[in-house]
This record gives sequence, structure tokens and C-alpha cells, in this order.
Amino acid sequence: MKKDRRIFGKVLIVLTILFFYLPIVYMVVFSFNSSKSLTSFEGFSMQWYVKMLESHDMMTSLYTTIIVAILATLISTFVGTITAIGLSKSRKAVRNLVSQINDFPIMNPEIVTAIGLMLLFITFSINKGFMTLLLAHIAFCIPYVILSVMPKIRTLDPNLADAAMDLGATPWQAIRKVIMPQIAPGIFAGAIIAFTMSFDDFIISYFVTGDGVKNLSIMVYTMSKRVNPSINAISTLVVVLITIVLILVNVIPAIRKKMMKEEKIASHRGAKVTAGILVVAVLIGFFGIRHVVTPTGEYEGQTLHVYNWGEYTGENIIGDFEEATGAKVVLDIFDSNEQMYIKVANGESYDVLVPSDYMIQRLIEEDRLQPLDHDKLDCFEKLSEGVLDLSYDPGNKYSVPYFWGTVGIVYDKTKVDIEDLEREGFNIFKDPKYRGETYLYDSERDSFMMALKALGYSMNTDSEAELNEAYEWLVECVENTDPEIVTDEIIDNMAQGRKALGLIYSGDASYVMAENPDMGYYMPESGTNLWSDAMVIPKNAQNVDLAHEFINFVSAYEGAMDNSSYVGYTSPNEEVMNELKGPGGDYEGINAYVPRTDNENDEIFTYNEDTRVIISNLWSKVKLAASNN
Amino acid sequence: MIVLPMLLIAFYSVTDSGNGIVDVSFTFDNYKRFFTDPDFLIVLWRSVKIAIKTTIICVILGYPIAYFIAGSKPRTQGVLILLVTLPMWINMLVRTYAWIGILSEGGIAQKLLQLIGLGNGDLLYTEGAVMLGMVYNFIPFMILQINSALSKMDKSLIEAGADLGASKFQIFKRIVLPLSMPGVISGITLVFLPAVSSFFIPKLLGGGQYFLIGNVIENQFITVGEWSFGSAVSMIIAVIMMISIWAVRSIENRNSGVKRNRKARVSDEER
Repeated sequence: MKKDRRIFGKVLIVLTILFFYLPIVYMVVFSFNSSKSLTSFEGFSMQWYVKMLESHDMMTSLYTTIIVAILATLISTFVGTITAIGLSKSRKAVRNLVSQINDFPIMNPEIVTAIGLMLLFITFSINKGFMTLLLAHIAFCIPYVILSVMPKIRTLDPNLADAAMDLGATPWQAIRKVIMPQIAPGIFAGAIIAFTMSFDDFIISYFVTGDGVKNLSIMVYTMSKRVNPSINAISTLVVVLITIVLILVNVIPAIRKKMMKEEKIASHRGAKVTAGILVVAVLIGFFGIRHVVTPTGEYEGQTLHVYNWGEYTGENIIGDFEEATGAKVVLDIFDSNEQMYIKVANGESYDVLVPSDYMIQRLIEEDRLQPLDHDKLDCFEKLSEGVLDLSYDPGNKYSVPYFWGTVGIVYDKTKVDIEDLEREGFNIFKDPKYRGETYLYDSERDSFMMALKALGYSMNTDSEAELNEAYEWLVECVENTDPEIVTDEIIDNMAQGRKALGLIYSGDASYVMAENPDMGYYMPESGTNLWSDAMVIPKNAQNVDLAHEFINFVSAYEGAMDNSSYVGYTSPNEEVMNELKGPGGDYEGINAYVPRTDNENDEIFTYNEDTRVIISNLWSKVKLAASNN
Repeated sequence: MIVLPMLLIAFYSVTDSGNGIVDVSFTFDNYKRFFTDPDFLIVLWRSVKIAIKTTIICVILGYPIAYFIAGSKPRTQGVLILLVTLPMWINMLVRTYAWIGILSEGGIAQKLLQLIGLGNGDLLYTEGAVMLGMVYNFIPFMILQINSALSKMDKSLIEAGADLGASKFQIFKRIVLPLSMPGVISGITLVFLPAVSSFFIPKLLGGGQYFLIGNVIENQFITVGEWSFGSAVSMIIAVIMMISIWAVRSIENRNSGVKRNRKARVSDEER
């Protein structure tokens, strides 16, 4: 009987540990996968580590995480310990009150604390960024430090300090020589908790950060939409780092004890120094990674700051440009026009931005862009007519197109009857026949575009009645077909044929169709969104000449070819577009690659802040309805 | 730094949607909007429900694990505790992300289920996946809390019980369980609290159309930009949390009886 139970216990513990470590092991294994797949291992490769090291964004986020964690730990441990000592000396009522307030953030959902801190920073107009991130981390770490130091102080004999002072110690000496050593384990435990909390934090950081400052969690959250094994690589690196720290934490006291026995106090310092050196060595090794070779050329020593969408740049284009000019390129990544706007509006300096049409219109209206010097640009005659001189920037005074395309329906030819699509257009998303087989795109602009077009309205309407009708349309669609509302996950999922239908950007559809020949792309006759993303130079650019060089470089044959064949979006360079869609091209026979320019129902987005807020709210109601379905 | 943020949330929650601090008017519309819209109430109810389920699973699984850990030799116990805590050091988001690969179509979880003949339904983007993510992330808190209560227990009590002729089951029911209750209670708070307000677990494992109350708040602040309504929703969950913590604690106090209460009061005064 007893044996049985023991075996049961062992099995249970083994299973639990398997459960705890399975995802971690899985992650480490797949970080060495030679393919992009997260489900089948196809061979050993270090490519995701190379990609990770090359990614400015990833390395910066790791650096931010570590720096914030170290600073927050040091400061909160100091403040928390002093507070705890001070509290122990104060009256009981005060002590109780403060410790109840101290419990507050611990007993409150993290998201509430996060929002409180965010509102605090906004109310006192502190610009969100590194400082707010650090302050917030310090704020939420302090209660934990107090909580772990307090019990140690309680067990302390209150007469100790008095005794020390009677014997001639100053109050500071009394704290340092008498109290500190007694409560050291509590302080140490508090510091460890603070470090973990800070290193691990996502929710609070997510709300209080800004200005493009990201820690690791935020980066994983924003990148997780699309399969990206580099996340596994950077996670593995974190696992290794944490293991090293844990070993240091567990081994150093043991070593110290041993050394103390042997050489007494002299080596005490020795151990501290060793620990310090170890930490510094790890940090230096880590920063060393970030510095790479510098090339030579005309613009040697100069730096070009580019702010572009994620997964939107050809494989070699940055390296080639650096080689050709000798300049260094720093590429920052955004995932929405709004995110880019906030950063630019806050005065961050970039040389080239790649926003979408309506956002360019807004930037022009707000006088944030500088007119391009057309004498320095030799690219316009190479570009397709359909993408030039559009309503958001007549005469291309401010912008040179980067990619362009449409929004349409990606469908599985083996599951969807093309007659249904032709008859229903966007209304196919309301057809109960395809229940459980559809993806919607989690973007209020594109979803309302679809609804408004299906209803025969302009997608730039500012009529509340029409917007409400579009809302009703979307709710009906959610009720009839129970769609999954996704963002970039649609790309990999449709490429693997998981569902029959989805709303998609033409460039992503090109990729999907190139991967899976069963997939088709359809643009409803009722019209759709004709969009373009274009390169612009903001007013506060530091290196305007180099920015013009870059625009020329990207628009010329080689750069455009690299970009378009790698990313899958349509190149504005006519020669490249024709070659890629023509015989033997990467996108031969793929209709999604060629934007439609002959349907008079197609429209370009215009910017309108009032409708943006209305649509945002209505869209979140649609998602609620979908969730309650 | 601790009180002010809460006051600000309370303040914003009763103002109209202008996001400035000057020139505001007070209103309870934000609360009215929440409580009169069935969609919001359904989401709230679902969030509470899934958090309760998660908590129950964590107690049922966590208790025996903690019990066996506490019953093992001191050396093994230390190693086991370290093994339980180690994953907690690794970023929660990273660990949740790892599940996406395991649960997605054609992943090992599905292959395993097919192997034992349990069909091949979708695993990712279901309520089950969200719950799995929550249990995975939060169960270590439960195990550690129960374990520390169990290992603090005076072992001679069990021996005394056995000497007095109690069966194993009686000892467990009459001695071990009541004495470990404080651990269970604090475990429950540590699991229930983050589970109710979690928003990245449902987003990563439940998909974009799976909304919990945390997602509603995130959406209000990040996408829509209507802070006053978002603040009102935050206030509502903060209040719900406090009520439930208070309820759990008062049940605990009643159970533990007058005797311990008095003892606690005495030791409190001694301080």
C-alpha cells in the first residue's frame, strides 16, 4: 500500500516537472530548427540566432530588460529596506496603515496597477519611455522588498541599535554594522524577488512604456503574431542567462563561505570582487555582440535612421546599401501607423519613414514632412503610373512609393465555389455555408472598409448612420460564420490551408499563393481599398542627402527586386513588377501580385480623426460580440 | 506612488471621455454603459468563470504535488522546490508563446492525442488552451504556498494522532488538511487574481476573438483610446477582486476558529 502511494507520488512529480519543462525544452529545440515551422523539426541550423543578432530591435529589447531589471532591483531594494527600517520605528497605527497600503498593489490585479501608473504619468505629462518604465518597475518592486524585509526586522531585538549607539556608534554605523548584517537575508531575498518581478514583467511595462522602448516581453507580444523562430532563439538566450545568474546566486555564497573559512575577511572582499567581475564580464560579452564591422565608402561614418514595418525589407538591401555608400543603417520597426505616428510626433528623429497613404496625408497636414528634392531623385520614371500622383500626395511632393496593393479575399479553391465569391463579394463572410471556415483581419479600418464596400458605401464615409449599418453588418457576419479574428497569423495559417476564406492584404496573399497553389485571391466588384506605403523624409531628419540616396537605392531595379521577391508585396518599380509576374517570375500567374487599377469603386483611405474613434469603438464591440458567440 | 494611481483610476472612471484633467465633468455613464450592455456582462462572467475553473484545477493538481514534495527527504525537497521555481524565472510571455507551437495544428500535442485515439480537434485558440496556459503559468504559486504551509507543520501532531489511533485518512482530514488551509487560501488568491485579469494568455492562446475582461481594458486603452471607460472597467474588477479576497479570508477566519484568532491577537499585541 505504502509503496503504491510512493510510486504514485513519484509519477505525479515526474509528470509535473515534464509539464513545467516541456514548453521550455520545445522552445530550445525549435530555436535550432532549419525551417520556419514550429511543429516539425527539419534539421539543425543556427540561422535564427544570426537573425536575432542582426535584429536591432531584439537586441535593444534584451538590453533594456536587463538594464531596467538591474536598476529597479538596486533602487527598490534600497528604498524598500530604508522604508521597512523606518516603519519598524514608527507608531503601530502608522505601521498598520502603511503595511495595508503596501498590500494594495500586491492584492490588486496587475492590469489595474498598470493602468493607474499609466494615468499617473500621463496626468503629470511625463513622456512615456525609458524613465517611466524604470519608475514603474521601481514602484511595483518596493512593496515586495518591504514585505520580505519586514519579518526579519520584527525578529530583531529593538535594543540592539540603542546598545550600539550607547557604545559610541553613530546611527549610520548602527544601521550598517549592526542592523544590516542581521536583516541581510531578508534584503537579499527581497532583491531577488524584485529582480525576477522586473525581469519577467509584461503587463505593467506594456502600459507605461512609450517612445519605442520595449522590454523583452513587449517584443515577444508584438512579434508573436507571425511565426518567427527568432523568438525561440532569444528565449533560449534568456534561459541561458537566467541559468547563469541562478548558478551565480546559488554558488557564490557557498564559495564565499568556503573562502571565509580559509582566509577570513580578506577573501570576503575577494569573493565580492569575483562576483562583480563575473557580472561585468557577462554584460561586456553581451554588449560585444552588438558591435559589428564598419564598411567604407562615400558616406563613411554617417548613419541613416530608417523606421519601417516589420518583415518589410528585403534580405540583402540594408547590407548592400551599407556596402555601396559606406554609411551605417539603423532600422527600427513599427507594427502600426499609429505607433509610428506617436514616436514621430514625440520628436524622435528619423531620416526615412515608410507610413501608409492616409498617415502620410496626416503627416503632411500637420506639417511634419519635408518636401523631397526631386533633382536628387532619379526614380520616378521607373515607377508604375498607377501608384504615382495619388490623392494623399498629389505630384509626389513628399513621398516615393515603397509597396502598393489592394485588400481582398484569400480563398481555398478546393473548398470555396468561385461562383459564390462572384455573386456575394464581401458578403461571402456572412454566408453560413462557410461557418467556422473564415478569418477576419483584426484591423478596424480594413474590417469597416469591407463592410462599407459590401453595403455599397464609400469607405471614407463620415455618416454615423452608414457606420452603424456597417457595424450591424459585421455583427451579423460574426454571428453567421463564427470567424477567427487574427492579424498576421492568417499568412501562415492560410499557407497551410487551415481555413477556406480570409480577408487579407494582396502582398500577403501573394506569399500565401506562392506557398500553396490551392489558394486564390479575389477582389470584389463592389470595390476595395487601393493602398500604398511610401517613403517620406520627416522635418527633423538628420541626414537628408543620405535619405535621398536610400530612396533611390530602394526604388532602383536591384533594391526593388530584393524587396519585392523577399517580402511578396508589389513593387512600384514597373520593370521589377513585370518581371516578377511574368514568365519564370516568382509570382507568375498570381493575380494578387498585380494591383487592380481599373475598378472605379476602389478607393484610397483618407484620414479623419473623428471617424477613427467611432470605428475603433464599434470594432471593439464587434470583437466582443464575436467573443460572446 | 501606490495610492495616487488608484485615486486617478477612480477619478477618470467618473469623468466623461475627454482625456484631459482640466475641464472635466463628472458622470456615472461609464458604469452605466458597462452594466447595461449584456456583451460586457457576459465577458465579465466568463472571465470569472474561467478563473474559478483554473483555480480549482490548480488546487486539485497542486495539493497532491505539494503534499508529496513536503513528504520527501529534505535534500530532495530542496531540489524539487528549485525545479518548480526555475521556470518561473523565465519570462511568462515566452513560456506562453512556447505553447503555441505545441498546441498548433500538426504539433506534438495533437499527434499525442491522435496516438491515444482522442481525435484530432483544434487545440489552439480554444477555451481549453487558454485554461491550460493559465494553469501552467499559475500553478507554481499554488504548489509553493501549500508546500510552505505543509512543511511548517509540526510533525509531532501527526505522530500524536497516529498514537491516539487515528487512521491515515483521519489524520489527513483532521490534522493535515486544516493546518495546510492557510497555504491553500493564499494559493487561491495568488492564482485567482492574475487569472481574472489576464489578457495576454487569452490573446496568445485563445486568438483575437477570445475576449476576457483584461482584453476589454487593454483594448480601451491601447486601441480605442477612451480612458474613462477603461478606468471604469478597471475599477469594477478591482472591486470584485477585493470583495472576493475579503470573502475568502473571512471564510478562512471562521473555519480556523476563535482559539487561533485569540492566539493571533495576543501575539500581535506582543509586538
